[in-house]
Amino acid sequence: MTRGLANLGAATLRQIEELGRMIRFGARIVMAASRPPFRWRAFMAAVYDSGVLSVALICAAGLTVGFVLGLQLYNTLVRFGAEDSLGTAVGLSLIRELGPVLTGLLVTGRAGSAITAEIGAMRTGQQLDGLRMMAIDPIHFVVMPRAMAIFFVLPLLSALFVSLGIFGAYLIGVELLGLDGGTFLASLEAAVEFDTDVLQSLVKSVVFGVLLALIATWRGYSCEPHSAGVSRATTSTVVTASIAILLADYLLTALWSL
Amino acid sequence: MTEVDEESGHVEARGVALAFGRREIFRDLDCRFAKGRISVLMGGSGTGKSTLLRMIGGLQIPDVGSLRVAGQELVGLEEAQLKAMRGRLGMLFQNGALLDSMSVFENVALPLREHTSLSETEIAERVHGRLSAVGLSDIDELLPGELSGGMLRRAALARAIVMEPEILLCDEPFSGLDPPNVSRIEALLTHLNRDRGLTVIITSHHMATSLRMAHRILLLRNMGCVDGSPAQLASSRDSAIREFLGQDGAEYLAHHGHELEGAEG
Ligand SMILES: Nc1ncnc2c1ncn2[C@@H]1O[C@H](COP(=O)(O)OP(=O)(O)O)[C@@H](O)[C@H]1O
Ligand SMILES: [Mg+2]
Repeated sequence: MTRGLANLGAATLRQIEELGRMIRFGARIVMAASRPPFRWRAFMAAVYDSGVLSVALICAAGLTVGFVLGLQLYNTLVRFGAEDSLGTAVGLSLIRELGPVLTGLLVTGRAGSAITAEIGAMRTGQQLDGLRMMAIDPIHFVVMPRAMAIFFVLPLLSALFVSLGIFGAYLIGVELLGLDGGTFLASLEAAVEFDTDVLQSLVKSVVFGVLLALIATWRGYSCEPHSAGVSRATTSTVVTASIAILLADYLLTALWSL
Repeated sequence: MTEVDEESGHVEARGVALAFGRREIFRDLDCRFAKGRISVLMGGSGTGKSTLLRMIGGLQIPDVGSLRVAGQELVGLEEAQLKAMRGRLGMLFQNGALLDSMSVFENVALPLREHTSLSETEIAERVHGRLSAVGLSDIDELLPGELSGGMLRRAALARAIVMEPEILLCDEPFSGLDPPNVSRIEALLTHLNRDRGLTVIITSHHMATSLRMAHRILLLRNMGCVDGSPAQLASSRDSAIREFLGQDGAEYLAHHGHELEGAEG
């Protein structure tokens, strides 16, 4: 019993230490980003890898989620004779919650894991040490452009997800179930406020971007230098970042409604 | 007489101890690598040769002890201060450590792009000069993954010397090379040492080559180090040392034994 508690205590301490190291690492990324030169080429390449190559996935997922939302919410609303508010219901759930959260989770799986694996492989192959020996800071050269790219693309992808989701729900509600298109859009427009809903959406996707960028690069940078270590780090990125995003979503939602 | 000045340690370790977990690698290690000389670090595998090179590069911090590179204490330096020191070092890693997403040309050009304002033409000229010095041509566009082990190592050596460092650390520069390329790299390192006064520290298992090119051999064993000129070690009274140098050591002694008189005062 005491032994169990002691172990639990030690494990908790280790987690807190790890968190401390990760936050210091984050500070080093921020400092690197503010130290010229900004590595535009590497940044654009990372935006391409993490962002552009995720567009198809985000579109497909956004559209599908839009279909499902359109169908589910219509079926619920119609029972109360409130199907005219389909636009409101779909718009608010996508903008406030589903857009940023699902985009965060999808980008974690697609791009976050790839970044961890890439940086982890570079560590394992001593490429990061190789850079150090050339007096090049690997955080500036390798980590910063990738972290900035995630941070930059997540809000954009989230907006794309929301747009496609609304479009999908429109297709279902208007084209399939025969709602009036004008009514759908009017109810959407009337309900969505910039400084509550859109801003909340943006803040969430920015926070998720920071979390994912930090977790994915840190896990790769600090992985055990062998292939099993890289694979563990990659899994850990997906798990940790997903939980972090869901937890942050709850906290932000709660804070917003104070 | 001038022995001390000439042989002043460009790199010096004093009382260094290092353990990975419970596995002790060094205990009270003292060694020095003379300025402008070629030192060869030997020892069975797992004795810590690569680890010692990594410590000299500031990549591995000793648990206790002091490490001085070009007169500067390295233990306790911040990453930013280490960076300045590393500008004077070139390092060839055992596995090459080239960036695998960049072509060979871009890999060798990288330090020049980062630390100089040379024009594209000057960069190309320098990079091709270094690549041909290590016997590589027409491989500019290849990725490191498309090279053989020996080519990879030579490309990495080209990268390590492209900034004309003061101290060159080479981890196993000869392994995986065919005999003509062993001679080529030996000649290149000897040339850089003789003409540019480069301090060369290499680890190697190539006994004959090492004995031939080394001014000094440092043999890692028992978590410490024994050092001497090739002739001194080859004639050591310690049979374990003679055994380690093997047939090549005996042959070397037969040809160079006379150097022993005079060398030892
Ligand atoms: N990062 C590390 N973590 C744990 N053990 C290590 C690490 N690096 C090296 N070692 C151990 O230290 C010893 C010396 O390694 P190394 O310097 O690579 O030997 P050598 O180059 O002489 O063959 C080996 O036993 C190796 O297992
Ligand atoms: Mg080694």
